[in-house]
Amino acid sequence: MGRFLWYIAKRLLNYLVMVFVATSFTFFLASAFMSPRSNFESRTPRPTQESIEASLYRTNLNDKTPVWERYTTWLHGVLTEFDWGMTPNGDSVNREISSRIGASVELMTLGTVLSIVIGVSLGVYTAQRQYQWQDRVFSGVASVFMVIPTVVLAILIVFFAIEINQSAGTRIFYVTGLSSYEGDNLWLVFVDFLQHIFLPTVVLTIISAVGYHLSQRTYLLDEMHADYVRTARAKGLTRKQAIRKHALRASLIPTAVSVAFSIAGIFTGAVMTEKIFAIHGLGEYFINCINNNNIHGAVAVAAFSGVCTLVGALLADLFAAALDPRIKMS
Amino acid sequence: MANNDPKTTVPEDDKVTTEQSGLTNAQRELEADAAGAGTVKRISYAGLIWRRFMRQPSAVVGMVILLVMILIAVFGPYICEFDYTEPDFTALNVPPNARHWFGTDGGGFDLFACVVHGLGRSLVIGITYALLTTVIAAVVGTAIAYFRGVPEKIGMWILDMLMVIPSFLLVAMIVRAASGTQGWWMLILGLTAFGWIGYARTLRTMALSLRERDYVKAAKYMGVPSLKIIVKHLIPNLGSILIIDTVLGVIAGINSETAYSFLGLGIKAPDTSLGYLLSQGSSAMLSSPWVILIPSAVLIVLCVSMQLIGDGLRDAFDPFSRAAGKVNDEQSKGDKKQSKGGKAKAAAASSAN
Repeated sequence: MGRFLWYIAKRLLNYLVMVFVATSFTFFLASAFMSPRSNFESRTPRPTQESIEASLYRTNLNDKTPVWERYTTWLHGVLTEFDWGMTPNGDSVNREISSRIGASVELMTLGTVLSIVIGVSLGVYTAQRQYQWQDRVFSGVASVFMVIPTVVLAILIVFFAIEINQSAGTRIFYVTGLSSYEGDNLWLVFVDFLQHIFLPTVVLTIISAVGYHLSQRTYLLDEMHADYVRTARAKGLTRKQAIRKHALRASLIPTAVSVAFSIAGIFTGAVMTEKIFAIHGLGEYFINCINNNNIHGAVAVAAFSGVCTLVGALLADLFAAALDPRIKMS
Repeated sequence: MANNDPKTTVPEDDKVTTEQSGLTNAQRELEADAAGAGTVKRISYAGLIWRRFMRQPSAVVGMVILLVMILIAVFGPYICEFDYTEPDFTALNVPPNARHWFGTDGGGFDLFACVVHGLGRSLVIGITYALLTTVIAAVVGTAIAYFRGVPEKIGMWILDMLMVIPSFLLVAMIVRAASGTQGWWMLILGLTAFGWIGYARTLRTMALSLRERDYVKAAKYMGVPSLKIIVKHLIPNLGSILIIDTVLGVIAGINSETAYSFLGLGIKAPDTSLGYLLSQGSSAMLSSPWVILIPSAVLIVLCVSMQLIGDGLRDAFDPFSRAAGKVNDEQSKGDKKQSKGGKAKAAAASSAN
């Protein structure tokens, strides 16, 4: 146990340093490529020079301050008060982000769970029927979905949903936002939520399920050809038993590792899906930050994603260590 | 995997059984040898791969589609009477017809001209991106593996650190500066700047076993400079993986271009690209569906054709695959469709969900 805790502590420390360096790197990159000054200069009527400078100084975004000085001021705020700075308009980045994480979680949870369940089951199903028609159909479809750009997939799904709505003469699917019903009837709230979440969930499920499907298929096929499965068969297990009791268990280890990363991904949201379905989550916020020269907002989103990625990596290590007796903590 | 030096490899399995003679390849080779020295025709390694590639119908279909796409992208502007920059104000939002083959969008721009131009952009961006990232990743990945010790530790730490923040976010910061007709260069630069990282990690893993090879040690003790060993001995022996991943990298590049241009960060007016067309069309989805359907179809066909080529190449390089010919005395081993490197690229492509 002591060694285990030491291992975790060492990992955590390394990850903390990584997040720090990566976030600082992002800060300098963002400062180099974004110009909050242009936000004010392009306003009509153009504000006076003094008021532009004053607003920029107030939000610690003025490019006339040396970038190192802006960095230390920002870092001081982050480390002492956990204050991630201000947007060019003077709003608090902390408040904007915390209000958006909820929407991302709402959107991603269902899609992530569904994609894992569907993807892994399809992978197991097709691996057992390698080169039969079921395998060819499902794996063929999956490899097509794998390469289609997310934008194209989402747009086509929206397009057909609207066609269905029109031919049904009523709104079955909503293509924007997460809710529109305003009332107290819990059942209607639930139905309204389902109507909104259905399409984005379909998109998210398809794009991540194909990944799980194809990789689980490969992992299981690799294990099915391993010697220990042949031994199990030789000892009298049926093919099904040998796969279920031996090959399947081993093949789920690498899948568990990717599940760990997906869990972390729930909090960071999905940029394209959120943008297309107008869901005000973190992904959309990031794009808005980029378009509005919101340096502090963009850096904060990047840092949050970094933390989530590393939590995912830590979870992945733990999952692998818990499931795989061959892995030693070192 | 072709771990031997390609030039010295005797293609042992160029045994095509076109006629159903019922003989194994070994028997036929013996027969051929008995018929007289020199009658066994040896082909080069590239020739062997080409032959195996052409043996797969799906790969050939992908290749033909890609060639047709390239021809359309190159010669399309000459057969179309409209230019993608000049709107036709007499025909706003018209569906596909004899004059405007793909119809026009709300601004009167001829969609065929736009799609042809966008297709060219996508191809150029995808191919350049794939080549650049492959070269960078190959050099960095093998160098980190080759130098071992402290440089390897530092290098891996830096790669891990760069992976911490999703590259989609970092690239978005850079490419937003892209504008005007030169914006696509900026887009390629931005995509390449962070596109090679995950790929370098997989290549380093592959190079770990290569660096232990005797010929690498021999070269080292003969005093061959490190850079030369990396370029002449390590990288060529990753050749098959590099080629496959270059092809799959094109898909990743095209996907990224579409995503960034759709978000309004990549290619912007007056230039046009397939992603830009999609973002324009998505606002008028009901009144003019062809503006989204046609670029979508082009993108799907383009990506699927690249995928078919990638799969075909993977099977051509894999001595256990069916593309190695119908061999009676050799059973095809497990399906290795999802090679490690391929997955890295696919993950990079789908990270922008």
